[in-house]
Parts: sequence; structure tokens; C-alpha cells
Amino acid sequence: MAVLTASERTSPAPSPPRGRWARGARRTPPLVLAFLLVPLLAESLWVFWPAFQGFYLALNKWDGVSAPEFVGLGNFAEMAHDEVFRTAAVDTVLWLVVFGGLSALLGLGAALLLQQERRGVGFYRAALFLPVVFSLVATALVWQAIYQPDGVLNRLLESVGLDSLRHAWLADQDTALYAVIVPALWRQVGYVMVLYLAGLKGIDPALYEAAKVDGAGRWQRFRHVTLPQLRSVNAVVLSVIIIDSLRSFDVVWSLTRGGPYHSSELLSTYMYSTAFQSLRLGYGSALAVVIFVLAFGVIASYLVRAFREAD
Amino acid sequence: MRYAHPSRRLFLAGLGAAGTTALLSGCVTSGSSGKSSSGGGAVTFQSNLSAPQAKAAMEDLVAAYGKEGSGRATLNTVAAETFRTQLPTYLTSANPPDVYTWYPGSVADAYARKNLLLDLGEVWTSSPDLKRYSKALTTQCTSAAGRKVFVPSTYYWWGMFYRKSHFAKWGVREPKSWDDFLDLCDKLKAKGVTPIGLGAGSNTPWVASAWFDYLNIRINGADYHRRLLAGKQRFDDPEVRKVFDRWQEALPYFDPDGTALAFQDATTALLAGRTGMMLIGTFFADAAPKGALDDIDFFRFPVIDPKVPLAEEAPTDGYFASARTGRRDGVFDLLRYLATAEAQEIYIKGSSGTVLPCHPDAEDAGTALVKKGRKHVEEAAEITQFFNRDSSDALQPTADTALTKFLAKPKSIGSILTDWQRDAEKIWKA
Repeated sequence: MAVLTASERTSPAPSPPRGRWARGARRTPPLVLAFLLVPLLAESLWVFWPAFQGFYLALNKWDGVSAPEFVGLGNFAEMAHDEVFRTAAVDTVLWLVVFGGLSALLGLGAALLLQQERRGVGFYRAALFLPVVFSLVATALVWQAIYQPDGVLNRLLESVGLDSLRHAWLADQDTALYAVIVPALWRQVGYVMVLYLAGLKGIDPALYEAAKVDGAGRWQRFRHVTLPQLRSVNAVVLSVIIIDSLRSFDVVWSLTRGGPYHSSELLSTYMYSTAFQSLRLGYGSALAVVIFVLAFGVIASYLVRAFREAD
Repeated sequence: MRYAHPSRRLFLAGLGAAGTTALLSGCVTSGSSGKSSSGGGAVTFQSNLSAPQAKAAMEDLVAAYGKEGSGRATLNTVAAETFRTQLPTYLTSANPPDVYTWYPGSVADAYARKNLLLDLGEVWTSSPDLKRYSKALTTQCTSAAGRKVFVPSTYYWWGMFYRKSHFAKWGVREPKSWDDFLDLCDKLKAKGVTPIGLGAGSNTPWVASAWFDYLNIRINGADYHRRLLAGKQRFDDPEVRKVFDRWQEALPYFDPDGTALAFQDATTALLAGRTGMMLIGTFFADAAPKGALDDIDFFRFPVIDPKVPLAEEAPTDGYFASARTGRRDGVFDLLRYLATAEAQEIYIKGSSGTVLPCHPDAEDAGTALVKKGRKHVEEAAEITQFFNRDSSDALQPTADTALTKFLAKPKSIGSILTDWQRDAEKIWKA
């Protein structure tokens, strides 16, 4: 923009266009330029700049008050020996597999069940999608009441004679992580279902007709028609799931804060507690960098492969 | 086309200027200079007292200050957890709120050492009220560098709370010694009552620290406790191990849901008689129905070693101010008012009334519970605050992890203490 402004000032009369770039730049209406540059500027100020600061902070020891002290890659070296980081990384992978895998499977299952236009199907679709509307913190509060020692779940178990299964679901290190995954799944399934429903609607019915004529059974039609046709939706769903898994924070923080004793700790909750509770903002930023690299790496590598296959 | 250029340039130039300003002010690692010593306008007063009764009492207090006529303040109440995490940001920002509710002692000193707190020496010398405050409070409000940085307002106490009617019904009495206490637990258990409620679940794991604090000050003394929390002793010392050996004796009497319930829910269990007693601060009264307050009583945490000077946890609350305030004169005036007996009585009347005023002439709520609480604190040879107040908020999560793990896996205490020391060192070195 600075270059453009300078050229306008120095050459009031329009000079003949030289080359493709000059022609293109001249033809771009100012309004379009503004629509491109203003968001870019806003994004730079409120997204890129803080992100760069985060990268810079990851190389420092900082308590949020004193001047930061440059430690190079010291924070990353510390991570190599940090048991809590290891637990959080393992839990994050577990979260990705269980939460991600189940939300994809259940979302696809729900979409297949509810794709036919039958009476009342809209109600079920809406019911499954409804949890997406609620904030995860509100969802977590409801589930907290369900998981209480004298909450709905334990009472239900009692009423059907399964007293032995009664549990402090969120306070036991063996169950906390899985107990937290359930509300996250409850919310995610409806979202994934909608993505798959859109994908299923886009499949040409003629393909199914042809498969039927060829004698394909229900499973064969699913395996050889539905799944290949959903490939592009799968890429979207996978990206959404990976991003949502790595940024999962609110539901865990509201329910367990990563506890008891780090048993439901994710990289995101560990990053938050390190940075804002223990006031180790440098180390917290280093954890944020790791999350960024993981998210970017996984998604980029998948998308590159997916697009290569598509070509 | 021509007419569009100036407006576009102007727009972009304006945006650029705004962006530069945002960049400069948003630069988290840059320092910012202080402002002039005095300015106009109402003093901004940031409060973490967000419980309904406490919030209403603070509103009464600010309104009374406005009526008094010497100045004006605007109250901004922020949820306690948000306030705690945002406090460093408030204090380091270029345009900070002026006055804050917070804690004296090591917590205030940590900010004072970084030159973030306003020197309140002038308030302490010019206020006739503050001159009459106890020596202990005066010391507590003085930073390590010898500057007055805090104005105290109220304090409260921790104790073993129970319902008088329930104890009468179960035919049990307040214990004095540790053995009496374990006997009491046995009796309650025999009656089918869970003897000890906890409330260290959900978002209040810090409640468990009260047990650690009390056992440590009863076994190793308040001085050792403070040194431990300041990083001058190690959590894997044999002295600390003794604390957990004693705790293990009481562990079978703890509510098994103690780490699953928040203290508010544990309070409900106590009031309903599902648990017999609970080590808690008087703030739990905010969650108790007004009708039950008259039936609530407490006893001193049992003495374990009579040779150890008697110490009690009695956290003080009050106010400090930002060193970067632009309204120093207004801040001084407000703080002088908050130190008066009148101001503290207004707060006590508006709140649940279970706190004690710091001003020697201010009247407390006058209930039997409060009178007993005052005596309880006055009889103590030493006063401690609470784990996070005697150490730091940053160290509290390390205690939460270690103590909830101990409650679930008491046999792993060796590795728990090693890990606690390792985690604490990271905080002390940060």
C-alpha cells in the first residue's frame, strides 16, 4: 500500500501500464483493495502480531510482570523432561482418537439414519443438532450436575441395581478424561451429522440406481458408492475434528480443570494453567507453539495428501 | 475517482495511526511509564467480591463514600477467578484501575517488589484511624522494603465448623486434642455420619490446603510453615512427611466424595447433617441459608503438640492501589475513608456479617459466633493467612495437585512430595 501511495504522489499523470502486475494493480478498484487490505490490517494487528509475540515469548522466561528473560529454546528443552507435558500430550492424542473417531463415526451414523425424508425426521435432526447451539461451558455445567456423586447418573445406576458402578466420575483419575469426552461428543455429533447430511444430499441418486442394477447389496452400496462420494466431506470433517480436538479447552476446564492431579490434562488446559495460574507465561507460550505446530502439521499434511489424491 | 483518494488516504492513515497505538499499547513485553500524580474524575475501584451479599455490601460502601462528599469512586466488580488471573495485567497496564480489593503480606509484597503498588505511607501517616491499628496489621501491610502498600479492612478465621443442634442430637462435644478429635470421628462414624466434610472438588481444590496448613502449623509451627511456603524449606523434608503421617490417621473419616464436591456443596452436606464437621473459613456462610447461621458453631483445629505455639489461620482482606494511578489524591482520600470504623461497619452490615473489622473501634455483627471468632483469633500466639496468601497464587496449583493426589493415593506420599518440590521449584525460579 505504501508503494502505491508513493507512486500516486510522485506521478500524478497515469503512466502506461508495464507488464501484467502493473495492469492488474491499476485495474483493481479502490473499494476492492480496501476490502482486502482493511481485514488484512485488522488480522495483522489482532491475530498475526499476537501470534508472533507468542512465538517470541516462547523463547523467554516471563512471569507476566517483570521484564522477560531470554532463554532461547530452554522452555522446549524443559518440555522434554516434563512429566505433566507428557501426560497432557498422551491425553490429547487419546482425546483426538476417542473424541475425533467417535464423533466422525456417530455423526456419519446419524446422518445415514436421518438422511431419508420421512415424517418426523426433522425433529430428530434438530434434536441432535441442538447441543451445538449451547455454549460448551453451559453444557459442562449441566453435565457436572449429572456427574455429581448424588447426581442423575449415579441415581440412575442405583435405580437399576448397579450400585457397584456408582462413581465420583470427575474426581477419579481412571474416569475423569472419559467422563469429560462424553459432553464434548454430545455436542460434536450433531455438527458432524450436518456436514455428512450435506455430503449425502450431494450424491447423485443415479449412482445408487446403477449399483442396484449391478446387484450391489446395502453394504456394497455404502462401501463402493457412499464412502468414495463422501471423500471431500471427510477432508472437511477431519480438519474440523482435529482443530476442535486440539482447541478443546472449555469443557475440560469447566468440569475438571485438567484434574484430578493432571489425569484429564490436555495440552490446551496445561497451557492455560501454566500461563495464567502458575504465571509462567514463557513456558505457556512454548506449549501454545507446540499445539500450533501439531495442528498445523497434521492438517497441512492431510490436506496436501487429500488434494494430491483429488488431482 | 479523484474524490475517493483523500478519503481513502485519510481512512488508511487513521487506521494506521490506530494500529500503531494498538501495537504500542498491546505490546505485552514492553513497559509503560507512570502518569501524573493527581488527576480528576472518580477513583476506579476494582473488586473481586462477587458473592451477592459481599457485592451488595461493597456497593453500599462506595455509595456511602460518595455521600460523605470528599470524593467519588466507581465500583467495578469482577468474578473472583477472573480478577485473580487478570490482576498482573491490570497492574502492568498503561491505564490501570486505581484501587483494588486484595490481600496483604507476601501477595502484596510480590507486587510491591516490582514497583507496581502505590506507596501508601502518606495515607498511614495522615489517617488518625490507621495509627490505631494493631502492630501486627501494620507489619502485615508493610512491604519487605519498608513501604506501606496496603490498607486492611476486615479479617476472618478458619475453624472446624459444625451445627450445634446436630452435635447435641449425636451426643458429642467439641474436642481439644488430636486424640479427642479422632475419638469424636469414631463416635460420628458409629452413628452412620461421615465425620469430616471437605469440599475440595470441582473448582475449589484449594480448600484441601487448609488441612495442610493447619497440620503443618500444629506440628512444625507457623515459622516453619512460612519458611516452607517461601521456598526456604523443601516439601520433601521429613518435617513435611510428619504432616501427612498425621493426616493419614484422619483420612478414614473423610467424606469419600470430598474431592468430588465443591465447598458450597460440601457446606450443604454439613448443614443437612450428612457430614459432621468441616474445616473452612467463615466465607462459607455466604452459601448458607440465613436461618441456619444461628445454629452454626466451630472449634479450634485440635492441638497436636502442646509445645508448638498456637497459631490460627486468619486471612486479612483490604485494599492496595496501582503505582500507575493518575488520581493519587483521590486514591489516598478513598483509602483513608475505607480505613474508618464507619466504612468497615457499613461493609459488615451489608455482607453475611461473619467477618471481623480491622479497626479497633468498629463494631462487628455482634453474634455469638463472631464473638467466639474474635476470641479465637486473639488467643492465637501467631497468625497465618492461607496457603496462597503466605506463598503465592502461582504456587497454589502445585498444592492442589499434590493434596488431591494424596487424598486419593495416600500410600504414594513419597513420590507426591518429590513431585511437589519439583513443581514448586519451577514456580520459585520463574
